[in-house]
Amino acid sequence: MMVLAIAQDLLAEARSRRWVLAFLAAATLVLAAVAVGLRFEVVDGALAATRLFGGDLRSDVRSVDVALRPLFVATSYVVFYGGLVFGIVATADFAPTLLAPGRIEPLLALPLRRWHVLAGTFLGVELLVLAAALYGGAGVFVLLWIKTGVANAGPLAAAASAAVAFAPVYAAMLATALVARSAALSAGSGLLILVAGIVAGNRAVIAELFQPGASRAVFVGLTAILPRLSSLGRIGAAVSADAPVAAGALLALVAGTAVFALAILAIGVDRFDRKDF
Amino acid sequence: MLAIHASGLAKTYSGAFGRRPQEALRGVDLDVSEGTAFGLIGPNGAGKTTFVKAILGLVRPSAGVARLLGGDPGDPRPRARVGYLPERLQFPPALDARAILRSVARLKRLRDPEAAIDRRIDELGLAEVASRRAGTYSKGMRQRLGLACALLGAPALLVLDEPTDGLDPLARVEVRNLLARELARGATLFLNSHLLSETERVCTRIGILVGGRIVREGALDAMRESTSRWAVRFDGNAQAQPLAAAGFSPAARGEGWTFDGEPPALNEALERARRSGALLVELSRESRDLEAVLQDAVGVPR
Repeated sequence: MMVLAIAQDLLAEARSRRWVLAFLAAATLVLAAVAVGLRFEVVDGALAATRLFGGDLRSDVRSVDVALRPLFVATSYVVFYGGLVFGIVATADFAPTLLAPGRIEPLLALPLRRWHVLAGTFLGVELLVLAAALYGGAGVFVLLWIKTGVANAGPLAAAASAAVAFAPVYAAMLATALVARSAALSAGSGLLILVAGIVAGNRAVIAELFQPGASRAVFVGLTAILPRLSSLGRIGAAVSADAPVAAGALLALVAGTAVFALAILAIGVDRFDRKDF
Repeated sequence: MLAIHASGLAKTYSGAFGRRPQEALRGVDLDVSEGTAFGLIGPNGAGKTTFVKAILGLVRPSAGVARLLGGDPGDPRPRARVGYLPERLQFPPALDARAILRSVARLKRLRDPEAAIDRRIDELGLAEVASRRAGTYSKGMRQRLGLACALLGAPALLVLDEPTDGLDPLARVEVRNLLARELARGATLFLNSHLLSETERVCTRIGILVGGRIVREGALDAMRESTSRWAVRFDGNAQAQPLAAAGFSPAARGEGWTFDGEPPALNEALERARRSGALLVELSRESRDLEAVLQDAVGVPR
């Protein structure tokens, strides 16, 4: 109940924030521009021609769902990584602002427990990023559906993946804000986890670049505990390309990401509980 | 029942990066009964704000015990009956007063919050700005909104840190009247203020915190009353020279005389004054203002 109340307050505040409004405006503008400028000529289920703002993009006549797979895959990646970057930029100062002297004291004097504040902030930010990613993903989904007649759920899957991937990113941002109340440091830690998550998702390939032995073992060991964020990004792409997604592997990926996020959050809660304000 | 109880309450802030640890509280013992208007005064750095934060569970004491309305400050249940106004106050700049009050009401789990919010908005003179973003508020408006948040839900204990800071004189009178109504309702008031005149007007009991310790605590009237200084007024025909010879000194402020001494010495001096023809018109223990009480407690020469 208290966690939901804190999340509700955060979302109410987010609605009035310039960053969030700017993102919504920019996403809407991009979608509108693409809707106006992109023309597909589909004849009997085949793509006859593609024009962007009047210029020919491709002239091969192919089945439209096959021909547009690269486009769906690309838009899925844009939604996934765009959602994550938006999340980092737009929410970096939520925790530092909430923890500001004069703001946190009256909040903590209210009848709630400290972990409610962290959990509510985390939940509110997660919902915000999910909503933003879904806005972009659903916009692309509807736009391409109307333009091509193909309903590809890839962008929607990418939006959901982005929300899952943002959990460890924001957990790290929140924990950083508890140590140093700085939006820049908070965003920096989020970017660090994002990059580390991309590396971890490609660890098998990258590990080949290391000489077999101690250095490779250290790399594999260090990246083993990190959430594989780029693997989550590939889920949307796989859905876009009609490639199979193994349910077990997906579940393990999501569970691993959630465990990492919860572990960071637990450290944050412990630090928050012992902190003087 | 006690609204606030502190026993041997100590707080030492550990020094980061090699800095010396700082002792903010050094064993504070203090009891505040329910229904009291208590004022905590002291010089800057005395530990007043740390004490307030310790009893609200915002800082963890290094030693000692703090109880809030009979419960642990870390427990949300006693805090549900507390209204707190901090010294520094910030609100989400994008939200208006009504949205902020709704949020506080939700977190305080108030029933029928809209009626309570409307009442506080009217009482604190926020009606005209209630739909304006808090980021555009003046300091006085922020202070009013902070008070409205603290008063929401008719708390049993009000902990107010500089409640009239930033308010104009008329608004201060309004706030004093408001606090008087809260006291009449049965609320306990714990006031932490630098404005001694405000504390004097509102509080009936005073604690003086110096160097992290309570050096004086008691009823305001008793503290203001001097134990050995008397204010004396004679009729207009009294001669100054015999009065001075009898041990009286001209009062520093206004007309009249003062006498320093215990009652037997005072009576002897009055007898000598009468023999010189002076007629006693008025006699009272000299009452000091809170500033003088504080100066005495801190050890500042007057």
